Amino acid sequence: MTQVRISVSYEEYENGQTITEKIVALANDPGSSEVTELIIGEWGEAYQNSPDIFLEDLIRHKDAFPQLRKLFIGDMDSEDCEVSWIVQTDLTPLLAAFPQLQSFTIKGSSNLTLPELSHEALQELVIICGGLPKLVLEQIREARLPELTKLELYLGVEDYGFDGGLEDVLPLLDAERFPKLTYLGLKNSELQDEIAKAAAQAPILKQLHTLDLSQGTLTDEGAAALLDSELVRGLSFLDLSYHYMSDEMIKRWQDSGISVDVSDQQEYDEDDDWRYPALTE
Amino acid sequence: MRPQTPWPSGVESGGLGDTGESSMVLIGNPGNRRTAGLQAARARWGLPPAEVISYVELIHAAEQGAEALAELLSERLRRVGGSGLPLLRLDAPGEDDEVERAMIRLGDPQRPGDDRFAPPWSVHASAIRAEAVRGLRPDKGLIRYPAQWFRGFCRLLALCEQAGALAGAAHSTGAALRWINAPADIAQMFDKRQCQRILAARGVPVPRMLSLGAEIGSYAELRAAMAAERMNRLFIKLASGSGASGVIAYQFNPRNGEERAVTTIAMEQSSDSGAGKLILYNSKRLRRYTDHSTIRTLIDWLCGEGAQIESWIPKAQAHGCSYDLRQLVVAGQACHLVARLSRSPITNLHLRNERMEAEQTGLGKEQLRRAAATAESTLAAFPGSWVAGVDVLLQAESLSPYVVDVNPFGDLLYHVRYQGMNPYEWQMKLIRHMM
Repeated sequence: MTQVRISVSYEEYENGQTITEKIVALANDPGSSEVTELIIGEWGEAYQNSPDIFLEDLIRHKDAFPQLRKLFIGDMDSEDCEVSWIVQTDLTPLLAAFPQLQSFTIKGSSNLTLPELSHEALQELVIICGGLPKLVLEQIREARLPELTKLELYLGVEDYGFDGGLEDVLPLLDAERFPKLTYLGLKNSELQDEIAKAAAQAPILKQLHTLDLSQGTLTDEGAAALLDSELVRGLSFLDLSYHYMSDEMIKRWQDSGISVDVSDQQEYDEDDDWRYPALTE
Repeated sequence: MRPQTPWPSGVESGGLGDTGESSMVLIGNPGNRRTAGLQAARARWGLPPAEVISYVELIHAAEQGAEALAELLSERLRRVGGSGLPLLRLDAPGEDDEVERAMIRLGDPQRPGDDRFAPPWSVHASAIRAEAVRGLRPDKGLIRYPAQWFRGFCRLLALCEQAGALAGAAHSTGAALRWINAPADIAQMFDKRQCQRILAARGVPVPRMLSLGAEIGSYAELRAAMAAERMNRLFIKLASGSGASGVIAYQFNPRNGEERAVTTIAMEQSSDSGAGKLILYNSKRLRRYTDHSTIRTLIDWLCGEGAQIESWIPKAQAHGCSYDLRQLVVAGQACHLVARLSRSPITNLHLRNERMEAEQTGLGKEQLRRAAATAESTLAAFPGSWVAGVDVLLQAESLSPYVVDVNPFGDLLYHVRYQGMNPYEWQMKLIRHMM
């Protein structure tokens, strides 16, 4: 198993190096046939350049990566580029190019689109962003991903690209959509309480081992609904880390016997009068 | 005025040469952590306590001229006694409201003063007459006339240099007084614009400066220069600021016109005294501005007070945080080292950021050696200085070092040891060594 990460550093970009050169160099390296996991980080001024600058070249060299199973497009942090500024594009050509791909992670949602999302082998889909557009939520709802076991979506906030509402998120709690799903993450949301209340009663919980509602604005309100749910008791793991629950509620979880992560309690900022999800820049 | 002769390099001789000097006059704020730390270190090595001149006394004498200041120095030198000439150490003037006001008073541009150390930009800034300084609110954290403060500090440093020469000549030995850090160097290190230019000229790696460091007077000029140079992410720093005070991490997105500014500067438009008077203060937590008019107001103000504007080089990360290194250099040699971690782009000890031993960041020996060598070459640019804290940024991915700040008072570091000693103990040991 070989993991490879490529990116263009600040200095390299200043000196005119490109991510495409690095992709081509990797593809021409005999070791590329051993690569199982490819991580693409900063590609240079990602706030104005999308993966279109390298996508075609990567696809053109797809045969150099016969073992590729995991792909990450946009592994960068805020030192490189604000997450809501990372420009993405239609990434579905990558899925078509790598039919054996099992895990696909995307960071950044600006201009992201996944039309007619369909893949026979994909088991994991993760989208990390400050705000997931309604359109992408809809494309995921209508996707054909029969092998999908893990779906992890950072929903984010309106200011950073979440232009939908609860009604765009809740259909993902339908059980029939992804029959093999065992890990569902609807996280980093400014609607975390509402999502928690709906999830608490969703039949999909019967098939899940993990429900991930972490990184959002969860308060005692959403937490109480989860705590009262018999379906939640059936989970192997509930991730509520980074939250706005009270000390009393944390205590209740700790006493509940449920396997739950309630770490990273946030302080409600009274000056601001606002609660923020974790990844909002 | 001749600058003081350079310190000999190398710790073998304590870096101080064979002078027999071990007694010390310390200019600082009595009772603060710096003064207490230094005195404790002297006691540990059996050195007599430093004779302290407070900044309040110093400025009081300085306002009467170089002769009065020389007389104050001479009087303290006599108090120290002994045959040799004591070392003079100038410590940080900060954390004292009375000193801050006095410095602003001293910097009144309409009063005469020795401005040979004062940078030219300092005269364009907002100003307050000396007589009006008394009326300043003693609000903690309020940012007041930073450029005028710095001009006052530069005038004080010029007077100190002059008075030191006079007091040395009047001393029984007739020898030149030795400053641990020469006043001229302190003025240059403290002025971020000047400091980065000196380092760049000597080939020490520093972030690229917008318009090669030419003066940017306003937000509009900033944006024009950014567009012309395709520099969309930068740090705008108050040229005379210390720590995170007056630092903005600013970025502009040419694709959608959005702006982001992360800073410790909090802003209020007060309506009680005059329409829309701008009140700025240092906030304990970082502020994040996205609103154009707020950002414009902030940057206009900062540029007016003198700004160092440089490219935002993505910093290395460890444990999910950005970090940089504070590398102390004493007698030409790198010693105490600490990594400063932050979840924001601004890493600074005064904010509630985490610190960590540099090794815990996962840096290898070679990277640490390069960072140390860069800090040492930084001090070599200031041959009249024996100690400074150098902030070294490591670029993400390549981990190449860049110097982002030099602090002539950068030796107040807690819980960091070098050869088992804290920074003051290490310095005093070197001083005792050459007795």
